[in-house]
Formats: sequence, structure tokens, C-alpha cells
Amino acid sequence: MNKQPLTMTVNGHERQILVAPYYSLLDTLRDELQLTGTKKGCDEGDCGACTVILNGKAVTSCLVLAMSARGAEVTTVEGLATPDALHPVQQAFIERGGLQCGYCTPGLIMAAVGLLEENPQPSAEEVKFAIGGNLCRCTGYTKVVEAILLAADRMASLG
Amino acid sequence: MATFKVLEQNNPRVDAWEKVTGRATYAGDVYLPGMLMCKTLGSARSHARIVSIDTSLAEALPGVRAVITGVDFPEIRFGSGALKDRYIMARDKVYYIGEPVAAVAAEDEITAEEAIGLIDVQYEDLEPVVDPLASLRAGSPSVHPDLENYEGYGFTIEGGNICTLLDADRGDVDQAFRDADHVFEDTFRSQGINQGFLEPMACVAHVEANGRLTIWASTQGPYQVRAQLASVLNMALSNIKVIPMELGGGFGDKLRLAFEAFPALLSMKTGSPVKLINNREEVFTQNGPRHPVTNYIKTGVNQDGTIVAREAYTIFDVGAYLGAGPNSGIGHGLGAYDIPNFRLRSYAAYTNKVYVGSYRASGVADMTFAVESHMDMIAHKLGMDPLDFRLKNAIKEGDIAVNGSRVPRNGLVECLTAIKEQLGLPKELPEGHGVGIALCEWRSGTGPSTAAISVNEDGTVSLLTGSVDISGSDTSLASIAAESLGIAMDQVIVAKRDTDLAPFTGPSGGSRIVYSQGKAVEMAAEDTRNKLLALAADRLGVPSDALACADGSVYVQDNPPQALTLGQLAAMSVTSRSGPIIGNASLSTLPYAPVFSAQAAEVEVDKDTGQVKLTRYVQCQDVGVAINPMAVEGQLEGGAVQGIGRALTEDMQFDPETGAVRNPSFASYLMPLALDLPELETLLVRVPSEDGPFGARAVAEPPGFGPPAAIANAIYDAVGVRIRELPLSGERVLAALRGEGNDIAYIGDELEELKRAEGLSV
Repeated sequence: MNKQPLTMTVNGHERQILVAPYYSLLDTLRDELQLTGTKKGCDEGDCGACTVILNGKAVTSCLVLAMSARGAEVTTVEGLATPDALHPVQQAFIERGGLQCGYCTPGLIMAAVGLLEENPQPSAEEVKFAIGGNLCRCTGYTKVVEAILLAADRMASLG
Repeated sequence: MATFKVLEQNNPRVDAWEKVTGRATYAGDVYLPGMLMCKTLGSARSHARIVSIDTSLAEALPGVRAVITGVDFPEIRFGSGALKDRYIMARDKVYYIGEPVAAVAAEDEITAEEAIGLIDVQYEDLEPVVDPLASLRAGSPSVHPDLENYEGYGFTIEGGNICTLLDADRGDVDQAFRDADHVFEDTFRSQGINQGFLEPMACVAHVEANGRLTIWASTQGPYQVRAQLASVLNMALSNIKVIPMELGGGFGDKLRLAFEAFPALLSMKTGSPVKLINNREEVFTQNGPRHPVTNYIKTGVNQDGTIVAREAYTIFDVGAYLGAGPNSGIGHGLGAYDIPNFRLRSYAAYTNKVYVGSYRASGVADMTFAVESHMDMIAHKLGMDPLDFRLKNAIKEGDIAVNGSRVPRNGLVECLTAIKEQLGLPKELPEGHGVGIALCEWRSGTGPSTAAISVNEDGTVSLLTGSVDISGSDTSLASIAAESLGIAMDQVIVAKRDTDLAPFTGPSGGSRIVYSQGKAVEMAAEDTRNKLLALAADRLGVPSDALACADGSVYVQDNPPQALTLGQLAAMSVTSRSGPIIGNASLSTLPYAPVFSAQAAEVEVDKDTGQVKLTRYVQCQDVGVAINPMAVEGQLEGGAVQGIGRALTEDMQFDPETGAVRNPSFASYLMPLALDLPELETLLVRVPSEDGPFGARAVAEPPGFGPPAAIANAIYDAVGVRIRELPLSGERVLAALRGEGNDIAYIGDELEELKRAEGLSV
């Protein structure tokens, strides 16, 4: 199938690319933009490893057709840190041991960033609900939840 | 506890920054110019002769560059162990639904998929065998009729499908049963389990201009992949380089060769790099999971609660090929107890299902469910407290373990005591609530381990090992090097390695990295330190035993200002008589070091629906020393959650007629999510091991063993029903509450047949 032009803003930069019409946003980010931080765990919307922020909402990018993201703003895990500092959620994951193999980590971090944009001071239950679509096989989630709560506290105190 | 500068601190992982920023590179993240995509065609039949394969339409499809079938590979059988019972791709027969029969390399994935759909395979069906107990019976169809002619074959029962038997015996079991005050027997069944790693199997293969093959792999065992690949491709091992990429979970299933041979052969045929990434359905249907296990256990016990004899017959369904086989299960028929007389048997039975891989101490979780449920049942029948009954029979220092080793010092009693105090046992809970415990045991893994440390001119050190990082093991190894050399964690660079670069080492599995690989690192650090001290002694004009190494310097103990930094010494070493400083170490095995874990669950059971809600989970493990407490807790929490999934929801279901996996997705194979879990309480006991680095013991395996039995025992405490089959689903609990179902097939006939074949009286 012929590729078609697609323009969208990814991590603050406008990107113009050619994409096959059947391509998912996930495959587009990985194969066409070489943003491989976003992971494919199931390609069926069940695991959350491919979570990105699309127009302000955390979504599983494997279930989004790339063409439906025309003109959209997309943030991936590569777009969180500045040259000077990690995003508070990334920093908290490191300090609280919220990652092990790291494959689900970008998705968990993006789900957490999406949550904190909507609800800056969530309860532990709200955090668990927000990552309720993210499978992690290594950590048992305890330290992930602790990390997200720590990040929320720090972001709140920074205003 | 000894004081440490690096160990026992919550240092961040050495790979944390790459992982939280998305820069860590997994095998699927490798993109090479001109790279082709590979897809495989899985068998549509569970047991059949391949009459013909027509690939002409696929080959003619624009964008397809090559198609291979089994006959394109050398006719060489291989296996995971001694028994060579499989081809890398089906040749004349297929043995399970999903078994690869062809593979395609095309310019993009969708073309490869389309080509797969154009391959026409004609089959002639053979009768499949799906039920492992039925497969043992005389007259059962044979999965491998030529088994006796396979290389490495060592055992069978006439006409059966048994491919291996592991056994262990001590004392006079039959006499001990006759003399015992009570004899109890039970049968338990555990379900099929998927490892559930988030990163599907992936690899990229590329033949270099000089003919060497490079594999970017998702593996726990790069040297094992290299050796098996060399075998199935009939290539010189030295012509293969395996680069282990960041590993997105393996849990045992990535210890061995998976599908790396397909893109490898396709790369040889096309001259282009070829990438293969499994989709999730392929992970479930083609990558060795664990199959249901049937466990028969019999125990002789005296009125005072002393266990005098144990017999355990365990039937492991291994699927179409031995694969990882019964693996670690055998010795665990005793549990963590000192039992003078025993007869333990683990049989591996072939069926026409996907072959088994390893999974986090394969077989031990199945055995622990059976043994620890059975222990609880005996305690209740004797009117003893379940914890006291376990303490009374617990194995202790100086006893002889099932493997014949003397049991060294350990923290078993401390773990049970900690659980007792944490929960306030024994305790009465409200109606419908219950508490249950389980005692788990494992050994610290050993095997060949190597390490090399070189000192850089800026005072940092470079650490080279052949082991793949799993679960933070690189961080642990860096911590051990830093502690040994008296430098900070961030002064240790852990080299990215491949099979050309690094010295041979065993695979990353079986909880062996910290204990054995860590020991090699500790020894290499000691070698490095000795060389630093020798050079400093020469330059400072003092004997080396007057020197100490700490805080990045070698200094005179009586006059600390008289010192040389590691950086200065490294710079001096370049022109010194003995040359640049490099320390190394190599070892094969370490002595037996047991690891014990006591675990407890509290549950609430809904009597109307049978639903079990886990309200509390407590575990305490003897870790010897916590190399990094945060990482250790993370391992224990993650392991326990895998066990909780095994206890309550996870269940690989196989079609009883065809053996096909019926739930090959995360939507139908239910692993725990954050919302499903109570807060986990994790306690550490520190009784140093005699040989591990700084007294460390293995960590990762035991936490997953306990939940099925602890939760089953808690359900019994809550509502008085005993569930002998996993998972402990609402349906099973409800049926038991109504007095229905719950009785799983007792393996009477099969047991008699197995015993007769061994020449035992029945």
C-alpha cells in the first residue's frame, strides 16, 4: 500500500513523514521516527507498554492509527527529560526502584505523566487505577506506585 | 552486621537512566540499513506427517526475498539438554499446533505476513496425545516412536511417552511407612503457566562480509545461544557472535536458543540483515511455557508430629519436546524439611503441545504448592499448629540435604519467626477470613562464572563479565566490585559485552548471578587490589602488607597521607614492570547455599461467589546480605506477585482434543495488575552464607513459590474447603463450598504402572 503524508508534532517538533495507511502510531514512532523508547508488548491494547500522551491524554499507541493522529501533539518517553534534568516521574522511578527489566517502564512513566497532568495529587488507589492498564512482570507494582506518589509530591511542592 | 560503604545501600541501578529515558536498546530496537522482516508459519495440526509444502506463491510475491522450510536446515536434531529430540524447524512431521514449518524474509512485515498466508502445507494427520496421564498408559499413541534412537536417550517405559526420569532415594521408605503412626496421601495439580515477560522474543541476524554471523539477541544465555545455533546451522561456533541486548524479562524462557536460527539462515540466503519479532500470540503458542503438573505425595508421620517418610511421584507434561523438562522440581518433593526416608520421582511425559521452557525455578512452585498444602493438611489432622509442625520438621544446619550436601548455617527459623511476629500468629480472624503460611526453599545457583577488572587512569574501573543483566544483576556486580575495591558505585563502569569480547560464563538464571558471578567479581577485585598494593608498595617503598585500599586510594596504614590514588597507580602501571593492572577470576561451582523464605497470606472469601480476595501478603527471606535492599525488595515483591498470579488467575488453557493454546493473549491469560494486589510486606533476614560474596545468598527464585500454598491454606482457614488444583478460582472455591467438584483425578492406576515398571511392589 502506498505511503501517505502525515504531519504531527512529536515531542515539540513538527514532523512530516510518509506512512502506510495501516500503520499504527506505535509502529510509526518506532519504524519511521526511530523513537524506539515506546515499546510493543502485545500490539492488542492489553499491556500498556506503548503508552504515549496524545493531545494531553495517555493512550495505547498500538490502537491508534497513525493517520488519525494527523495534526496531533504526541509526547513519548524521549520527550520528557530536558538536557539538564529528568522529568520528576523519571527521577522518582530511579530513586524508588520503580523499574527492573525496563520494558514496561516507558509506558508506566507515560501513564503516570498523563495522570499527574489531570490529577496532580492522586491517592495510591488513584495511581493504581491510572496504571491499571499497564502490565509489569518484574516489580510487583509496589515501588512503581511509591515512585509516582513521590513524583506527585515533588511536582506539587514545585508548583 | 558488617559495615559496608556500598552494599546495604539503595544505590540507583547502573542502567536506570537509559531505561527511564527510553534509550535502553532491546533486540527489537535494532534497525539496520536494508533490514528485512521475518515471519514464521506455524503448524495448523497437532500431530501430523508433512506430505508437501508449496512455497511457490509466497516466493513469487513482490517484496519477498527468501522462503525457508525445515529441509533447508542441516538434518541435525538438537535439545535443551542431553536428549536431542527436535529439529529447529519441522522436517517430516509436526508435533504441536504452532510449531514453525516455514519462514519468510520480506522487505516489510506486512509482505512477510501475506507471504506466510500463501504457503500451502499438506498434512496427513496422526493421532495426537494431549493428556499427560493418558500418555503414560499402555496403548497410548506415541509422540516420538523413534525415541530410543535419539542421541542422548536414556530412559523409557515400554510403549509410553516418558522421556526422562529424575529420582532421589534415601533409607527404607516402605518400612518407614509401615512403622509410622499415620500415613497421609494427597494428589495436587497445578496449571499451565506463561512466563509473561513483556518483551516478546526478538532478534536481528546479519551475515558480515567475512561470513561471520552476528546475532542481536534477547537472551539470558548468549553463550548457550551461540553453541546451539552453531549446532543447528552446522557452523563453527567461532563464526557466530551473539550480542545480548537489554533484556525485557525472560524468567527462564530466554535461557536457550529460540528462533534465532530462522533470521540467521534467511540472512545467509539474502545477504541482508533479517529481524524477527514474535507477536504476543506466538509468545504464547511457540515459546516454551510450563505445563500442568500432577503431584502425588505420601507422608509417614508419628503422633508427636515427626515426619519419618515421604514419597512423591510427579508427572511433568513437557509437551512435544523435553525442552527444559522437569528442571528443578525433583529435590523439592521434601520441601524445607529433614526427612530420613524418601523416594522422589519426577517423570517427563511427551504430549502434542508446545514444548516446555524454564520459568523461575521451573517445577519448584508446583512442588511447593503440593508439599506446603499437604503439610497444612497433616498439621490440621494431627491437631497441631501449622507453623509449629513446620518448625518441628524444618531442616537445620548439619542435616544432609536431598542432594547429599551438608546443610550450612541458614536463616530458616528466623524467617518463620519473623512471619509469626509480623502477623501475630496464631490468630483468629472474622468469619470468612483466613490466614495461611508456606515455607519455601531454594539453593543459590552456581555454574561457570568469570570476571575481569581493569583500572583506568582516572581511577575508575571497568568491569567485564559475560553475564546478561537480569533484574539488576549488573548493578549488584558493580556494587560488589566497588565495595571490594573501596571505591564509589559510580566509579565502576559495567562493560556492554558480546560473546567475542567477554569470557565464557553460565547463563543468567537460577538465581546464580549475585551468588556465583558476584563471587567471581569479588575474587577479580581481590586480584586487582593485590596488584594495586604490589605496585604501590614498590613505588612507596613499603611492604604491601603495610598498605590498605579505601576511598579510591592505596595508603600506608600508619601514615595515611602517604598514598597513591587508583588513577595514579593505573597511570604508573602502564610503564611498570608488570604492565597495566587487570584483575581476573574464574570459578566453576560454589558449595550449596540454601535460601529459605517464609510467606503468609490473609484472604477474604465470598461464600456466595467463591471469590477470593487477597487482603495481606507477607514474606520474609534470608538473603544473607542485601547487596542493595531496594533491589532485593523489588525482586521479592515482583516474585511474590508472579506467585499470586499463579495462585489466583493465571491459567494457560489447552484444547483437550488438539493441545492448542486456547488463551494466547494478555486479555485472556490474566496476570496481576496493580489494582489486584494488597500492599506487600517484605521482611529480610540476614544470615550470611559461607561462600557467597560478602555472605550474599540468591534472591529471585523463592518469592514466587509460596503464594499458591499460602493462599490455599488461607482459604481452608477461612471457609474450611481444601482446593488441590490451581488456580484457586472462584469457580473451584464455590464448587468446593457446595460440596461439588474439587476432586481431581487421583493417579492410582498410573502410579501402580510407574512403580511396576521400576520393579517396586505395589
